[in-house]
Amino acid sequence: MSPGGHVTEFEPVGLVADDVRRSFGDVHAVRSVSFEARPGSITALIGPNGSGKTTLLLMLATLLRPDAGRILIGGVDPVAEPMRVRPIIGWMPDSLGSWANLTVRSALETTHRMYGHDKAAARQRAGELIETVGLEALADRPTRVLSRGQKQKLSLARALANDPSVLLLDEPASGLDPVARVELRELLLGLAARGRTVLISSHVLAELDEVATDAVYLDRGTTASTEAVARARAAARPWRIKAIDGFGLGPALERIGVDSSRIATDSQGITVTMADDADAAAVLTALVAAGLRVTWFAPAVGELERTLLDLAKGDPE
Amino acid sequence: MTAIGAFLRGVGLIVSLELKQRVRGVAWYVILGVFFGLVAVVTVGVWVVTGTWGGSGGGLFSSVVYFVLLLASLISPALSGNAINGEREGGTLATIQVTTITTGQIVIGKWLAAWVASLALLVVTVPFLAIAVGIGEVSAATVVSSLAVLAAELGVLAALGVGLSGVIRKPLFSVVVTYLTVAALSIGTLIAFAIAGTVTQVQVTQTTVDFDYSTTTDEGTIAECAPPTTTTYSVPRFDLYWGVLVANPYVVVADASYGDFTRDGQPNDLFGYIAYGVRQAQVAPETERFDDYCHLAPGEYFGQDQPTPEEVLRSGVPSWFIGLSIQAVLAAAALFAAWRLTRTPSGRLAKGSRIA
Repeated sequence: MSPGGHVTEFEPVGLVADDVRRSFGDVHAVRSVSFEARPGSITALIGPNGSGKTTLLLMLATLLRPDAGRILIGGVDPVAEPMRVRPIIGWMPDSLGSWANLTVRSALETTHRMYGHDKAAARQRAGELIETVGLEALADRPTRVLSRGQKQKLSLARALANDPSVLLLDEPASGLDPVARVELRELLLGLAARGRTVLISSHVLAELDEVATDAVYLDRGTTASTEAVARARAAARPWRIKAIDGFGLGPALERIGVDSSRIATDSQGITVTMADDADAAAVLTALVAAGLRVTWFAPAVGELERTLLDLAKGDPE
Repeated sequence: MTAIGAFLRGVGLIVSLELKQRVRGVAWYVILGVFFGLVAVVTVGVWVVTGTWGGSGGGLFSSVVYFVLLLASLISPALSGNAINGEREGGTLATIQVTTITTGQIVIGKWLAAWVASLALLVVTVPFLAIAVGIGEVSAATVVSSLAVLAAELGVLAALGVGLSGVIRKPLFSVVVTYLTVAALSIGTLIAFAIAGTVTQVQVTQTTVDFDYSTTTDEGTIAECAPPTTTTYSVPRFDLYWGVLVANPYVVVADASYGDFTRDGQPNDLFGYIAYGVRQAQVAPETERFDDYCHLAPGEYFGQDQPTPEEVLRSGVPSWFIGLSIQAVLAAAALFAAWRLTRTPSGRLAKGSRIA
């Protein structure tokens, strides 16, 4: 690290977890987690509440020691050498703590200086961060006046303070309004495009669907195996179909030979269970050929959500 | 940049963050203002009774020093007793711990910040200390030693609070334990001393030779002495337990700072009286006493060969550095324990505690 400036040279840094475990007394928060996050990817960490997402992120953020297993961040073990890992990671916690009496600007300056940078560099970096997350109007107000969503932005800016190679985000979108969510998505895509490794936990699955390049499914502290995920992905799923002449849709489906057991009706219209993407394409082609004016043809639930639900369903317990 | 320089820069950053975040605020200035007012009242009060101390500034000076120590004992635990666990509850401790700031820098920085904050109490009293010195008969040695030892005591109080805030999870609980620890040193030592001394009594045999009043002549003189009479009574053995008082902050300040006496060897200030009290307790009571009131030479009066307080103090065992060392060990142990338990990545955690 050059004295005074922030990290100037960028080296792609990946993240590997191998059979990581951690329990608190007799509560096994993380039983066995193995996955890899590559530079340039956005990895979604998906799981229900209490599945161990936050505990896993604490271990990756050098705050918590795993009971067993191994973590490597850029080839360095954060348990053995936390001080080598800390400059290259940025962690955004799920709690919203901030130094209430400091202004947004001085809070970010302070955080940047905690990485060993001087005042001038910190001032400049704080300005950049405020612009990045869009807190210009509040830059010189104390952080205690911030709303929940604004605190999330401050927390994100703090995670980005040292221009980290690996970004660990715990529920970053909670509390953000739709515009801020779009901005967050674009920010993350931009970071990934510049070779950063992004790990993001959330239970708003629709949102992750749009940014995640990889997914890690976590259930009761265990990552789902690649085979289980592949099996769940391959399972049949419902697609929603809408047409201009809505009442013609049902008869048209029967006419092209779709079995009635595959057709379901709900408050929003009709869904058809498709075995796979080829199946869906064949149905669409047939509907169009039959002269139906189709306006909507898409999976009824997101990829991540469906996989998560199927994984839960396929669980023998 | 040297390693020490980098370490100190990080400590400085934590100190300034701590002062901005936790101390500097309207409430703190109100406390200082109220404190200033209280010391002003004390100054006037001591001034009124100043005649008893022969117009010397020593009484006022020592009163103000003790007042600072008293107020710091009351304020410092509240200020420093939740430094670490309060920040953890607020969710900001972990955001420091993921940076390259070390746990040592966090603990030391918070301790120094709490110390600086309590030293502000001392700074506020400077005008009154100056008045006391202006009145006179306060030696430079007394000023230097009492203020230096007072500052050290404030550092001990701050370290106890910050240390316990890193050891105990709940902020309220750690503040209470800090108060109890300070009370144990300030009041507990006194109580232990008094109780232990009182339950350990020793028999004293007192032989007295008095006048035989039946031989009083017409001129009013007494011709003969009465035969010696012997009585026994018991006295407490405080000399066995004076060591308990050594760790008392007020005793430490006094024992380090007596030195100004009146011409007839009486203490000039509270330091002298308290130190004299402790040194007197060091002396074992005589178990065989012989008082002869009858065979006094002309011009003598009974008790004139008693040592003055100044003589007692010059001959007793000084203890302030032992007391300060005991306190320093306690403070260092608290800070070290806080460092151990706050280090990351954390291994074992207390039940129900969280990191962020």
